[in-house]
Amino acid sequence: MATYSLANERLRALEDIEREIGAILQNAGTVILELSKEKTNERLLDRQAVAFTASVQHVEAELSAQIRYLTQVATGQPHEGSSYSSRKDCQMALKRVDYARLKLSDVARTCEQMLEN
Amino acid sequence: MAQKRVLPQSKETLLQSYHKRLKDDIKSMMDNFTKIIKTAKIEDETQVSRATQGKQDNYEMHVRASNIVRAGESLMKLVSDLKQFLILNDFPLVKAIDQHNQQLRALQEECDRKLTALRDQVSIDLYQLEEAYYSSSSSLREANNLSLCEAYWRLDLDTDAADGLAAPLRASLEPSAGPLQSAAPAHSHASGPGPTEHA
Repeated sequence: MATYSLANERLRALEDIEREIGAILQNAGTVILELSKEKTNERLLDRQAVAFTASVQHVEAELSAQIRYLTQVATGQPHEGSSYSSRKDCQMALKRVDYARLKLSDVARTCEQMLEN
Repeated sequence: MAQKRVLPQSKETLLQSYHKRLKDDIKSMMDNFTKIIKTAKIEDETQVSRATQGKQDNYEMHVRASNIVRAGESLMKLVSDLKQFLILNDFPLVKAIDQHNQQLRALQEECDRKLTALRDQVSIDLYQLEEAYYSSSSSLREANNLSLCEAYWRLDLDTDAADGLAAPLRASLEPSAGPLQSAAPAHSHASGPGPTEHA
Protein backbone atom coordinates (compact mmCIF):
# COMPACT_ATOMS: atom_id res chain seq x y z
CA MET A 1 0.00 0.00 0.00
CA ALA A 2 2.97 2.27 0.59
CA THR A 3 4.02 1.93 -3.03
CA TYR A 4 0.48 2.81 -4.09
CA SER A 5 0.62 6.02 -2.09
CA LEU A 6 4.06 6.77 -3.53
CA ALA A 7 2.67 6.48 -7.04
CA ASN A 8 -0.24 8.70 -6.05
CA GLU A 9 2.23 11.23 -4.70
CA ARG A 10 3.97 11.32 -8.07
CA LEU A 11 0.65 11.90 -9.79
CA ARG A 12 -0.14 14.69 -7.31
CA ALA A 13 3.27 16.22 -8.04
CA LEU A 14 2.46 16.20 -11.76
CA GLU A 15 -0.87 17.86 -11.06
CA ASP A 16 0.94 20.56 -9.07
CA ILE A 17 3.23 21.10 -12.05
CA GLU A 18 0.17 21.57 -14.25
CA ARG A 19 -1.15 24.23 -11.89
CA GLU A 20 2.24 25.92 -11.87
CA ILE A 21 2.27 26.06 -15.68
CA GLY A 22 -1.05 27.87 -15.51
CA ALA A 23 0.44 30.28 -12.96
CA ILE A 24 3.44 30.85 -15.29
CA LEU A 25 1.15 31.94 -18.11
CA GLN A 26 -0.77 34.16 -15.74
CA ASN A 27 2.47 35.82 -14.56
CA ALA A 28 3.54 36.42 -18.15
CA GLY A 29 0.16 37.98 -18.91
CA THR A 30 0.39 40.26 -15.87
CA VAL A 31 3.87 41.44 -16.89
CA ILE A 32 2.77 42.25 -20.44
CA LEU A 33 -0.34 44.00 -19.15
CA GLU A 34 1.76 46.09 -16.81
CA LEU A 35 4.13 47.00 -19.66
CA SER A 36 1.21 48.21 -21.74
CA LYS A 37 0.27 50.86 -19.17
CA GLU A 38 1.56 54.41 -19.41
CA LYS A 39 2.68 54.46 -15.79
CA THR A 40 4.20 51.12 -14.98
CA ASN A 41 4.53 49.84 -11.46
CA GLU A 42 8.16 48.78 -11.53
CA ARG A 43 8.07 46.84 -8.32
CA LEU A 44 5.14 44.76 -9.47
CA LEU A 45 6.82 44.28 -12.83
CA ASP A 46 10.05 43.05 -11.25
CA ARG A 47 8.22 40.81 -8.84
CA GLN A 48 6.12 39.18 -11.56
CA ALA A 49 9.09 38.77 -13.88
CA VAL A 50 11.16 37.11 -11.14
CA ALA A 51 8.21 34.86 -10.29
CA PHE A 52 7.88 33.89 -13.94
CA THR A 53 11.54 32.97 -14.25
CA ALA A 54 11.59 31.05 -10.97
CA SER A 55 8.44 29.10 -11.87
CA VAL A 56 9.79 28.18 -15.30
CA GLN A 57 13.02 26.89 -13.79
CA HIS A 58 11.14 25.00 -11.10
CA VAL A 59 8.85 23.34 -13.66
CA GLU A 60 11.85 22.36 -15.76
CA ALA A 61 13.63 20.84 -12.77
CA GLU A 62 10.57 18.91 -11.60
CA LEU A 63 9.74 17.51 -15.02
CA SER A 64 13.37 16.51 -15.60
CA ALA A 65 13.32 14.65 -12.28
CA GLN A 66 10.11 12.85 -13.24
CA ILE A 67 11.56 11.81 -16.60
CA ARG A 68 14.74 10.62 -14.88
CA TYR A 69 12.69 8.55 -12.43
CA LEU A 70 10.69 7.01 -15.26
CA THR A 71 13.90 6.13 -17.07
CA GLN A 72 14.95 4.16 -13.98
CA VAL A 73 11.73 2.35 -13.10
CA ALA A 74 9.89 1.91 -16.39
CA THR A 75 8.93 -1.67 -17.19
CA GLY A 76 9.34 -3.32 -20.57
CA GLN A 77 5.67 -3.98 -21.23
CA PRO A 78 2.72 -1.88 -20.13
CA HIS A 79 0.79 -3.70 -17.45
CA GLU A 80 -2.70 -5.10 -17.97
CA GLY A 81 -3.79 -5.53 -14.35
CA SER A 82 -6.65 -3.66 -12.84
CA SER A 83 -8.08 -3.25 -9.40
CA TYR A 84 -11.44 -2.02 -10.71
CA SER A 85 -13.43 -5.23 -10.15
CA SER A 86 -12.23 -5.76 -6.58
CA ARG A 87 -12.80 -2.08 -5.81
CA LYS A 88 -16.36 -2.30 -7.16
CA ASP A 89 -17.05 -5.45 -5.11
CA CYS A 90 -15.71 -3.76 -1.99
CA GLN A 91 -17.86 -0.68 -2.63
CA MET A 92 -20.94 -2.88 -2.97
CA ALA A 93 -20.08 -4.66 0.30
CA LEU A 94 -19.80 -1.30 2.05
CA LYS A 95 -23.12 -0.23 0.55
CA ARG A 96 -24.69 -3.42 1.93
CA VAL A 97 -23.32 -2.59 5.36
CA ASP A 98 -24.75 0.94 5.17
CA TYR A 99 -28.12 -0.40 4.10
CA ALA A 100 -28.16 -2.93 6.95
CA ARG A 101 -27.29 -0.12 9.38
CA LEU A 102 -30.15 1.99 8.00
CA LYS A 103 -32.68 -0.81 8.38
CA LEU A 104 -31.49 -1.61 11.89
CA SER A 105 -31.92 2.00 12.90
CA ASP A 106 -35.49 1.87 11.51
CA VAL A 107 -36.22 -1.24 13.59
CA ALA A 108 -34.74 0.39 16.68
CA ARG A 109 -36.86 3.49 16.11
CA THR A 110 -39.99 1.34 15.72
CA CYS A 111 -39.23 -0.53 18.94
CA GLU A 112 -38.76 2.75 20.80
CA GLN A 113 -42.09 4.05 19.50
CA MET A 114 -43.83 0.86 20.58
CA LEU A 115 -42.32 1.15 24.04
CA GLU A 116 -43.43 4.78 24.34
CA ASN A 117 -46.98 3.84 23.31
CA MET B 1 25.69 4.71 -8.36
CA ALA B 2 22.57 3.48 -10.19
CA GLN B 3 23.28 1.21 -13.12
CA LYS B 4 21.96 2.30 -16.47
CA ARG B 5 18.89 0.19 -17.17
CA VAL B 6 18.44 -1.29 -20.60
CA LEU B 7 14.97 -0.31 -21.78
CA PRO B 8 13.30 -1.35 -24.97
CA GLN B 9 14.19 0.94 -27.82
CA SER B 10 10.71 2.37 -28.08
CA LYS B 11 10.56 3.26 -24.38
CA GLU B 12 13.96 4.87 -24.40
CA THR B 13 13.14 6.81 -27.56
CA LEU B 14 9.89 7.92 -25.98
CA LEU B 15 11.59 9.19 -22.83
CA GLN B 16 14.21 11.00 -24.87
CA SER B 17 11.47 12.65 -26.90
CA TYR B 18 9.82 13.78 -23.65
CA HIS B 19 13.12 15.31 -22.56
CA LYS B 20 13.52 17.09 -25.89
CA ARG B 21 9.98 18.44 -25.79
CA LEU B 22 10.54 19.77 -22.29
CA LYS B 23 13.74 21.58 -23.29
CA ASP B 24 12.20 23.04 -26.43
CA ASP B 25 9.07 24.32 -24.69
CA ILE B 26 10.97 25.89 -21.80
CA LYS B 27 13.40 27.53 -24.21
CA SER B 28 10.56 28.85 -26.34
CA MET B 29 8.81 30.34 -23.32
CA MET B 30 11.90 32.07 -21.99
CA ASP B 31 13.06 33.40 -25.39
CA ASN B 32 9.68 34.77 -26.37
CA PHE B 33 9.18 36.36 -22.97
CA THR B 34 12.55 38.12 -23.00
CA LYS B 35 12.00 39.26 -26.60
CA ILE B 36 8.64 40.79 -25.64
CA ILE B 37 10.30 42.68 -22.78
CA LYS B 38 13.02 43.94 -25.16
CA THR B 39 10.50 44.93 -27.82
CA ALA B 40 8.56 46.99 -25.27
CA LYS B 41 11.48 49.39 -25.10
CA ILE B 42 10.74 52.49 -27.17
CA GLU B 43 13.66 53.52 -29.34
CA ASP B 44 14.15 57.06 -30.57
CA GLU B 45 15.79 56.23 -33.88
CA THR B 46 13.87 53.90 -36.18
CA GLN B 47 14.35 53.00 -39.82
CA VAL B 48 10.66 53.38 -40.58
CA SER B 49 8.12 55.79 -39.24
CA ARG B 50 7.02 55.50 -35.67
CA ALA B 51 3.56 54.33 -36.58
CA THR B 52 4.92 51.56 -38.75
CA GLN B 53 7.41 50.53 -36.12
CA GLY B 54 4.64 50.51 -33.55
CA LYS B 55 2.48 48.32 -35.76
CA GLN B 56 5.35 45.95 -36.36
CA ASP B 57 6.15 45.71 -32.66
CA ASN B 58 2.48 45.12 -31.92
CA TYR B 59 2.29 42.25 -34.40
CA GLU B 60 5.56 40.78 -33.14
CA MET B 61 4.31 40.86 -29.56
CA HIS B 62 1.09 39.14 -30.59
CA VAL B 63 3.03 36.38 -32.29
CA ARG B 64 5.44 35.93 -29.37
CA ALA B 65 2.58 35.88 -26.86
CA SER B 66 0.89 33.18 -28.96
CA ASN B 67 4.15 31.26 -28.95
CA ILE B 68 4.29 31.44 -25.16
CA VAL B 69 0.74 30.13 -24.92
CA ARG B 70 1.51 27.36 -27.42
CA ALA B 71 4.58 26.35 -25.43
CA GLY B 72 2.48 26.30 -22.26
CA GLU B 73 -0.12 24.08 -23.89
CA SER B 74 2.60 21.79 -25.18
CA LEU B 75 3.95 21.50 -21.63
CA MET B 76 0.48 20.55 -20.38
CA LYS B 77 0.30 17.84 -23.03
CA LEU B 78 3.73 16.63 -21.94
CA VAL B 79 2.59 16.41 -18.33
CA SER B 80 -0.46 14.45 -19.44
CA ASP B 81 1.74 12.02 -21.38
CA LEU B 82 4.02 11.63 -18.39
CA LYS B 83 1.04 10.82 -16.17
CA GLN B 84 -0.11 8.18 -18.61
CA PHE B 85 3.37 6.71 -18.88
CA LEU B 86 3.67 6.64 -15.09
CA ILE B 87 0.37 4.84 -14.65
CA LEU B 88 1.12 2.25 -17.30
CA ASN B 89 4.82 1.63 -16.80
CA ASP B 90 5.73 2.44 -13.22
CA PHE B 91 6.91 -0.90 -11.87
CA PRO B 92 6.26 -0.31 -8.13
CA LEU B 93 2.73 0.83 -9.02
CA VAL B 94 2.13 -2.33 -11.03
CA LYS B 95 3.27 -4.42 -8.05
CA ALA B 96 1.01 -2.45 -5.74
CA ILE B 97 -2.08 -3.26 -7.81
CA ASP B 98 -2.01 -6.92 -6.72
CA GLN B 99 -1.61 -5.95 -3.09
CA HIS B 100 -4.45 -3.48 -3.41
CA ASN B 101 -6.65 -6.18 -4.95
CA GLN B 102 -5.93 -8.54 -2.07
CA GLN B 103 -6.67 -5.89 0.53
CA LEU B 104 -9.96 -4.93 -1.10
CA ARG B 105 -11.04 -8.57 -1.38
CA ALA B 106 -10.15 -9.18 2.27
CA LEU B 107 -12.20 -6.15 3.30
CA GLN B 108 -15.15 -7.31 1.22
CA GLU B 109 -15.04 -10.83 2.70
CA GLU B 110 -14.89 -9.42 6.21
CA CYS B 111 -17.89 -7.19 5.53
CA ASP B 112 -19.90 -10.10 4.16
CA ARG B 113 -18.90 -12.35 7.05
CA LYS B 114 -20.01 -9.78 9.60
CA LEU B 115 -23.24 -9.15 7.71
CA THR B 116 -24.01 -12.87 7.71
CA ALA B 117 -23.44 -13.07 11.46
CA LEU B 118 -25.59 -9.97 11.91
CA ARG B 119 -28.33 -11.50 9.79
CA ASP B 120 -28.41 -14.64 11.94
CA GLN B 121 -28.53 -12.62 15.13
CA VAL B 122 -31.21 -10.25 13.85
CA SER B 123 -33.43 -13.08 12.58
CA ILE B 124 -33.45 -14.60 16.08
CA ASP B 125 -34.26 -11.25 17.69
CA LEU B 126 -36.85 -10.45 15.04
CA TYR B 127 -38.67 -13.71 15.69
CA GLN B 128 -38.96 -12.83 19.37
CA LEU B 129 -40.00 -9.27 18.55
CA GLU B 130 -42.70 -10.49 16.18
CA GLU B 131 -44.09 -12.86 18.78
CA ALA B 132 -44.21 -10.10 21.37
CA TYR B 133 -45.75 -7.63 18.92
CA TYR B 134 -48.48 -9.86 17.53
CA SER B 135 -49.39 -11.39 20.86
CA SER B 136 -49.74 -7.98 22.49
CA SER B 137 -51.80 -6.22 19.85
CA SER B 138 -53.62 -9.10 18.14
CA SER B 139 -56.68 -8.67 20.38
CA LEU B 140 -57.08 -5.06 19.28
CA ARG B 141 -57.06 -5.82 15.59
CA GLU B 142 -60.01 -7.15 13.54
CA ALA B 143 -60.12 -10.75 12.44
CA ASN B 144 -59.79 -9.94 8.74
CA ASN B 145 -56.86 -7.63 9.36
CA LEU B 146 -54.55 -10.34 10.64
CA SER B 147 -51.06 -10.84 9.30
CA LEU B 148 -50.58 -13.70 6.93
CA CYS B 149 -48.67 -15.79 9.46
CA GLU B 150 -51.35 -15.24 12.13
CA ALA B 151 -54.13 -16.21 9.72
CA TYR B 152 -52.17 -19.28 8.76
CA TRP B 153 -51.69 -20.32 12.38
CA ARG B 154 -55.36 -19.76 13.27
CA LEU B 155 -56.60 -21.76 10.34
CA ASP B 156 -54.14 -24.45 11.07
CA LEU B 157 -55.56 -24.77 14.59
CA ASP B 158 -59.22 -24.63 13.45
CA THR B 159 -59.15 -27.05 10.53
CA ASP B 160 -58.85 -30.89 10.71
CA ALA B 161 -55.33 -32.31 10.51
CA ALA B 162 -56.47 -34.71 7.74
CA ASP B 163 -56.94 -31.78 5.31
CA GLY B 164 -53.15 -31.26 5.36
CA LEU B 165 -51.94 -28.42 3.14
CA ALA B 166 -55.26 -27.91 1.32
CA ALA B 167 -56.83 -25.89 4.13
CA PRO B 168 -54.19 -23.16 4.27
CA LEU B 169 -54.29 -22.95 0.51
CA ARG B 170 -58.08 -22.66 0.51
CA ALA B 171 -57.88 -20.08 3.29
CA SER B 172 -55.32 -18.08 1.37
CA LEU B 173 -57.45 -18.30 -1.75
CA GLU B 174 -60.75 -17.24 -0.10
CA PRO B 175 -59.72 -13.77 1.03
CA SER B 176 -58.09 -13.14 -2.32
CA ALA B 177 -61.09 -14.46 -4.24
CA GLY B 178 -63.21 -11.65 -2.78
CA PRO B 179 -61.17 -8.82 -4.24
CA LEU B 180 -60.86 -10.69 -7.53
CA GLN B 181 -64.62 -11.17 -7.73
CA SER B 182 -65.18 -7.51 -7.00
CA ALA B 183 -62.60 -6.56 -9.60
CA ALA B 184 -63.99 -8.84 -12.31
CA PRO B 185 -67.47 -7.19 -12.55
CA ALA B 186 -65.77 -3.78 -12.53
CA HIS B 187 -63.58 -4.92 -15.37
CA SER B 188 -66.60 -6.22 -17.28
CA HIS B 189 -68.36 -2.92 -16.69
CA ALA B 190 -65.31 -1.10 -17.94
CA SER B 191 -64.93 -3.30 -20.96
CA GLY B 192 -68.65 -3.27 -21.72
CA PRO B 193 -68.90 0.12 -23.33
CA GLY B 194 -65.61 -0.41 -25.11
CA PRO B 195 -66.69 -2.73 -27.90
CA THR B 196 -69.95 -0.83 -28.36
CA GLU B 197 -68.00 2.38 -28.74
CA HIS B 198 -65.74 0.82 -31.30
CA ALA B 199 -68.71 -0.57 -33.08
